[in-house]
Amino acid sequence: MGVGLRVPHYKVVIADRPAVDFFEVISENFMVAGGKPLYHLDRVLETYPVVQHGVSLGIGSPAEPDRDYLKRLKALTRRTKTPWVTDHFCWCAAGGANLHDLLPLPYTKEAVARVAERAKMIQDFLELPFALENTSSYLTYTDSTMTEWEFISEIAERADIGLMFDVNNVYVSAYNHDFDPFEFVHSVPHERITQIHLAGHTNLGDYIIDTHTGHVIDPVLELYRHSIELAGPVSTLIEWDDDIPELNVLLAEAERARNVRTTALAARAERKARGAAENAVARPQERYRFERPVPNADAVHGWRQGGPREREATP
Amino acid sequence: MSDLSKLQAWMADALQRRRAIERDPELVAQARGRIGGNDRMAPESQLEVYREQFWLRHTSCLVEDFEALGAITGQEAWERLVEEYLGTHPPQSFSLRDLGETLPEFIVGCTWLPRHDLCTDMARLEWAYVEVFDAADTPPLAVDKLAAIDESAWQSARIELSPALQLLSVGYPVAALRRKIRLHEDWQLPDAAEPQHLVVYRGGDRNLHHDVLSELAFALLLQLQQGTPLVPAAEAVASAHPDSASTLEAELSDWFQSFTARGFFSEVHV
Repeated sequence: MGVGLRVPHYKVVIADRPAVDFFEVISENFMVAGGKPLYHLDRVLETYPVVQHGVSLGIGSPAEPDRDYLKRLKALTRRTKTPWVTDHFCWCAAGGANLHDLLPLPYTKEAVARVAERAKMIQDFLELPFALENTSSYLTYTDSTMTEWEFISEIAERADIGLMFDVNNVYVSAYNHDFDPFEFVHSVPHERITQIHLAGHTNLGDYIIDTHTGHVIDPVLELYRHSIELAGPVSTLIEWDDDIPELNVLLAEAERARNVRTTALAARAERKARGAAENAVARPQERYRFERPVPNADAVHGWRQGGPREREATP
Repeated sequence: MSDLSKLQAWMADALQRRRAIERDPELVAQARGRIGGNDRMAPESQLEVYREQFWLRHTSCLVEDFEALGAITGQEAWERLVEEYLGTHPPQSFSLRDLGETLPEFIVGCTWLPRHDLCTDMARLEWAYVEVFDAADTPPLAVDKLAAIDESAWQSARIELSPALQLLSVGYPVAALRRKIRLHEDWQLPDAAEPQHLVVYRGGDRNLHHDVLSELAFALLLQLQQGTPLVPAAEAVASAHPDSASTLEAELSDWFQSFTARGFFSEVHV
């Protein structure tokens, strides 16, 4: 059970070395020449395993993945000794602009072919297991010809890569696009799940934004329980990127998830003991019904993956 | 261009629009053909979520990197500056760290800005801080290594400056002003020009600092930064400032001790 390494926690992590199984870092924050970011990363690496998660690959963008970006990413993997590298099923740049967002792809055969081919190439280039994460999305395309879970499953199978399975993103997209999140959770190839992400979000009524702020809500933890019962003992990470609390609050959130994970793994063990398939967890029979609060038109819509950048200390 | 790439090019253009998508009937019609929507949000409203985010994310990033510039321009001018900058210089790097790289150059042409010269200086200074913050790490040149070099070698020996060091000449005392703004102290715009030569550098504690240098010391560091060996560098400075030759000779040793102590040098090539 790990947590995202974020700037406000550097001091306490390096000074106190709290008990954390591993930290996840946003790769791009450390793809720099030197200075404090790499200094702090090296101090964390002295004590903790670190896994790398990226937000800027834009694997589905029109242009081929940038070779310089990949070289710098690979150089960072040598430093962190990450067991795998992850990014997102998304696109980031087109028409000469990098939009710095995890933009959803249309779920089409053309997009499957593009992403699968590149994912395979990237995994070969990095010489490490590579996994892609399902994103939260706020729109759908009329071009789509398959569901999101069909889309990511087909890419993962064709490219032979892992899934970074973000359970909160499943919930957010299901809320935004009116599908049953349990159908998503039960339909992906569970043996390909490399890691699970959990986070809080911001519900604006008409839609939810994946702000990575606040506690993981109970319905997401219920989806998480199903995910672990289906996938087994994969590692889990708590993301908290806005209004970042004290580290002990974040670690308490990780313990909350650990308890759910322990329960789910016990259920698997119990099934195994009585000769049933470990992952024979039933999907809820009734379609999931979302509670939708009154829309809040004044809410701030900003979100940022990976929390604040490390900046010069004042002054 | 494939159907997918056409869709992405259209969407990238839509997200960079300055005004809300619903205010452009043509774009709304296009969105309704490409975006699904649902019973709570029209297709253009779904697209607008991302357009809004494009501006929020990039504006907040520029505010972080150019906090003092934003303070001295005032809100209205700042918003115009950001809109024009992002409109003509769309973000291209994968990293938001690079977003403001061309702002100091862009702002030179923004003569409509009040206190334009001051704004130009501040933009250059604030970008220098960004560059120095995560520039490559190099161990500082040891005093012993410098002292061990034979005097005759200085005719051709080149001193390499730390990559985490930037030199800039400004027309106003922007470094002191920036500090006050960032510390939320009382500050005022300077009434008159006051040219300064600044060095912005990363110290051994990895914190960032600035110092105001004398004209001669600054000129010497510039020569060294350009790769001129020490003796020719000093000669070039003396030649450009004939009235200060004796000062240069008298202070050169102290400057070197001070520069070395502050980690300005990373290597010497004999």
